[in-house]
Parts: sequence; structure tokens; C-alpha cells
Amino acid sequence: MKLNTASEAVSFSMELENESAEFYQDLAQRYAEDKDTFLSFAKENGRNVVQVQRAYYGVITDAIEGCYSFGGIDTDNYCIETTLSQGKSYSDALNMAIALEEKITKYYLDAAEVSKSLMADVPQAFGRIAKKRNERVFKLKSLLGEG
Amino acid sequence: MALLEEPIKEVKVLNNFIGGEWVQSKGEIKDVVNPVTCQTIAKVPISTKDEIDAAVEAAKEAFPDWRTTTPVARARCLFRLKELLEEHFEEVSRIQTQEHGKTIDESRGETRRGIENVEVACGIPTLMQGPFSEDIATGIDEYLIRQPLGVFGIIGPFNFPFMIPLWSAPYAVATGNCVIIKPSSEVPNSQTRLAELVDEAGFPPGVWNVVNGGRTVVNGMLEHPDIEGIAFVGSTPTGRDVIYKRCGETGKRVIAQCGAKNFMVVMPDCNVQRTIPTLMTSFFGNTGQRCLSGTVLCIVGGDKFYNEFLDGVVDTASRIRVGYGLDESIQMGPLRDEQKKKRIIGYIESGIQQGAKLRLDGRKDVKIIGNYPDTCFLGPTIFEEVTPDMKIGREEIFGPVMSVTRAKDLSEAIEMANSSDFGNAHAIFTTNGKNAREFQYRIESGNVGINIGIVAPMAFFPFSGMKDSFFGTLHTQGQEAVRFFTLSKVVIQRWL
Repeated sequence: MKLNTASEAVSFSMELENESAEFYQDLAQRYAEDKDTFLSFAKENGRNVVQVQRAYYGVITDAIEGCYSFGGIDTDNYCIETTLSQGKSYSDALNMAIALEEKITKYYLDAAEVSKSLMADVPQAFGRIAKKRNERVFKLKSLLGEG
Repeated sequence: MALLEEPIKEVKVLNNFIGGEWVQSKGEIKDVVNPVTCQTIAKVPISTKDEIDAAVEAAKEAFPDWRTTTPVARARCLFRLKELLEEHFEEVSRIQTQEHGKTIDESRGETRRGIENVEVACGIPTLMQGPFSEDIATGIDEYLIRQPLGVFGIIGPFNFPFMIPLWSAPYAVATGNCVIIKPSSEVPNSQTRLAELVDEAGFPPGVWNVVNGGRTVVNGMLEHPDIEGIAFVGSTPTGRDVIYKRCGETGKRVIAQCGAKNFMVVMPDCNVQRTIPTLMTSFFGNTGQRCLSGTVLCIVGGDKFYNEFLDGVVDTASRIRVGYGLDESIQMGPLRDEQKKKRIIGYIESGIQQGAKLRLDGRKDVKIIGNYPDTCFLGPTIFEEVTPDMKIGREEIFGPVMSVTRAKDLSEAIEMANSSDFGNAHAIFTTNGKNAREFQYRIESGNVGINIGIVAPMAFFPFSGMKDSFFGTLHTQGQEAVRFFTLSKVVIQRWL
């Protein structure tokens, strides 16, 4: 689906945050050794939702281009896989998490880029979340033993 | 895409809010219709003269106590209102989309702008302070006190039903006055919800009143000797020939913010990629139904730039998604009602008859997303070769119609814009500071945009306007509103 409006972009962000939070809660249940890390990611997703909503609802006015800010973003490019099938190894799960984080980071960076001079605070919030997401990739890689 | 949930679920007859009570009107009842579905979503009374008189009495009765309530205590009521508005932000926004047709992004923008005025008015303890000069002569001091006047009438338009009464009402009550709001009878629901929240916030009965209706209520306000002033937003003929004139005759203060014909001047050095989305918002946002909308696109420069730029504009406009604003993917909603659509089609026909070239025809080239009747929908429309003697080049259309014209240089573009009867919100798009400064310096416009297509002043700046776009002296919002709603009393003191 191609995005156009700020409302759509914010809803899509929330979808990504909520789905990935559920994924990390699932990981926490399955893999007790790194439970705290996964739960902290899930918790941080909740804070990301608040941050995006706060930026959007705080800055949205009739003077900025809310309905035209995210043209060119296609959500099909940022679909995330969150279903952990039975029998997956721990390293498979971590690789899934890394792929998920990279996709979400890319979404935030791309969305921030297209809207940077149109939506004021929202791209800034997206940029901050992308940075945090990118840090997760390093953390997940270290759990995998690649760090 | 799935629709966001509609907040209004059953058809109710709206009441007036007078003296802290919800009072049933004895007036005729009209339907409030969702312009997308064409279904009735509420019923609104056209209140009688007795009812506006009763509201004035209630406000008058509330005034002495409210006037002596300290500014700090009055501000606390506004703080509570602000909190309640944040809590109900989404509901209030969706009401606007459901009854007006604007997109959800636009409605949320409107809600935010309204709340910002409440926030600014929360600063009334300092906003109301007057200057003090010690020793204007030896042992003599002079200072200024701002005092409220009494009861004010606020007349809201259909295009921003929630926000526009909030350009005035928070400042009026913060300064110790009482208000009577007459919402547009086409879109009264968000003001009813606002009054419920005002009541919940703990404003004393009679400080904030809402009387639904039409001309009878407006005339009742204009004629009533106990109404001290009127804040009005609407068309130029009504604002100038009715509101401003009659307030003058009856000695009332007046703010009359009226129509516009805003020029968007595009220089060949502009950032094309950023300018086009801005122009889409300017011309087609709120379906062109706003006094800050771009209406004339004046392109400066040679043929190559003109053709490439206009092709980009037409292409982007032709892809605007039109439909129900509760679908988050929608970029433009319908016009408020069928009458307005017919009126705008009349302008399109006159443009064709007078020789303008139709590049995009919103009557035909529009696909409505979702299964809705086309009763109130009209797609983005673009004319080129528009001249100032054509009706579409001169008059306010108040719909999604862009009239494109050309100028050989900035000076000619400014002269063209300044030849308009209106002076509300002209803008320039350029990366050249010298061009921007010259435009700002010479343009006759109360609000000026530099790479901004909707020049909507923040709540702490006045919503300005010039020429036939504004009648009065002080404007709504911020410090000017505080001055409008107060008397200046100067005290010179000497203690012997």
C-alpha cells in the first residue's frame, strides 16, 4: 500500500511497533536467557508509539502538508515477519529479529527523508527511533555472537 | 482502507447551552447532513429571538461574578478545558470530519489550532498586565489596567467549525467577559461537544453560552444593546455590509474576518520538489474552503520553467485521493454541501466561457474512493491563462479551483496580487532571500507566506488581514484579542 498522509504514516508506525513488541514478548517467553533484553525492547516499543503520537498530535496543523507528506512510501517494502514457527532455533529467532529491526529502521529513515521539510517534528521523531532501532541490531548481533 | 470509527452514532436534536443548562429550542429544526454519505447525523434548531435574548440575560447575570473572579482562577478553568480537549482530541476531530467532510489530518490540525488558543489564553494573568510608569512627574505614577466589558457574540463559519470560535472565546472569557457562540447551523456538533467540555471544566453558568441558529440569532446579537462586541468570520459581503456596518451603527466593537483571493507566487528558483506538495495543501486542502487557501498560482519565469512546473502541479493534483476523510488515505474530502458544489461549478463554467484553459476538470476527472454518492464531491480543478478580469481570477471561489496566471518578473507578480480587492494570505516560493524580502515588503496582505502555502498564524500572533479580507481594527488571537476584549483604563496617581 502506498502512503500519502501523515495519519497513515503514523498508523503504520504504530502497527510496526505493536507487532514487533508482540514478537519480542514471544521471544522473551521462549528464550529465558535473554528475556530481559527482549522485554526491554517490547517496552521501548511502547515508548516509541508515545513519541510518534506526541510528535504528530503536537505538530499537526492546517498549515503543514499533512495530507501530502509521505508520498513515495510503499508499506509493502517494510513488511515484517513476526511469526516464529515451531522448531526454530535461537539463532534463527535472532536473525529474524535482526531482519525485522533493519526493515523497521529503513521505514523510519525513508519516511523521515520524504517528509523532512514538510512535517516538522514527525521526521525528527522518526529519526530518533531509527537510531534506537539501529542500536538494537548491534545488540542482537552480539547475542548471536557476531558483535 | 478501513474507516476510523464515526463518533456520532445516533441522530439527536441539539440543544442550546444557556446559563449552564442544556435548553431545548422552540425554533424550527434543520437536518445536519454528512456531506459524504448524505445521511442526516443530527438535527439543529434555528433558535428564536427570545432564545438569543435569554442567552444575553444569562451572560449578563454571570458577568459581575466572573469579572471579579481572579485571572488566575479564570486561567485554571482554561487549564482544565485544555486537559479535557487533549483527552477528547480524537473524538472532537472525528466529529469535524463526520459533519464537515474534511480529512482526518485536517480535522486533527483544526483541533490542535483550537487548543493552542486555549493554551495561550491560559497565560491571561500576564497577558492582561498593563504597563506602569513610576514618576511621570515627581511623586506621580501612571499605569494602565485592562478591564472586561461584558457580553460578546461570536459567530462561527462552516469551514472550521471547531477552531474558529476558539480564536476568540478563550480570550474573551479569560479577560473576564461572557460569550455567546453561534456555530454554523450546517456543522454545529463540535461546538456542542466543546460546550459540554466547558461545562465539565467548571466554568460558572452563563459564562460560555451556545445558541444554535441562523440570521435571527445573528440579528439578535447585532441589535442587542447588552452585547458589547462581535467576533465574526465569514464572507466579505456579510462581514462588511452586515456585521461591520451594524456594529458601527450600534456602537459595538467588531472583528470581521472575511474572504480572500490569495496569490501563490512561484519563482523559477523555488525548490520544485518541496513547493508542489505545499501548493496541493494550499489549493486543495479543506477542499479549498478556507480564507487562507491559495486561489491564484502566479508562475514567474520563462516557458520551459512554466510548462515543467505546471505539468508537475497538474500531475500531482490529478492523483489526489478523494473520498471520506475517516479513511486515513484520503487527501481531499467533499464540499460541505450540494449548494456549494453548484456554486463552484458555476465558477468553472464561467472560467470556460471567459476563455480560460481548463487543464484539470474536477467535474469529470475525479474518482471517489469508496462507494459514496457524488452529491458534494468535486475534484481538483486547474485553469490556466486566467486573467484578472475573469470572474475566476477576481472573485473568491471557496472551492478546489486553481487559477494559473503568469508574470514576467516578481514586480509584475506583486502588482497583480496587489490589484486584488483582498489581502489575506499571499505567499512566495523562492530560494532567493532578496526576492522574499521584496515580496514581504511590498505585498498588501495581512498574512504573508515565504515557502508556506497556508499562512495560518499561531495562537500567539494575530490572525491578520487587509483590504476586503478584514473589517475592524484589532484581530483575533493572542495579545490583539486580549486588547479587543478589554477596556484600557489609565490611572494617574498622586498621594498627598
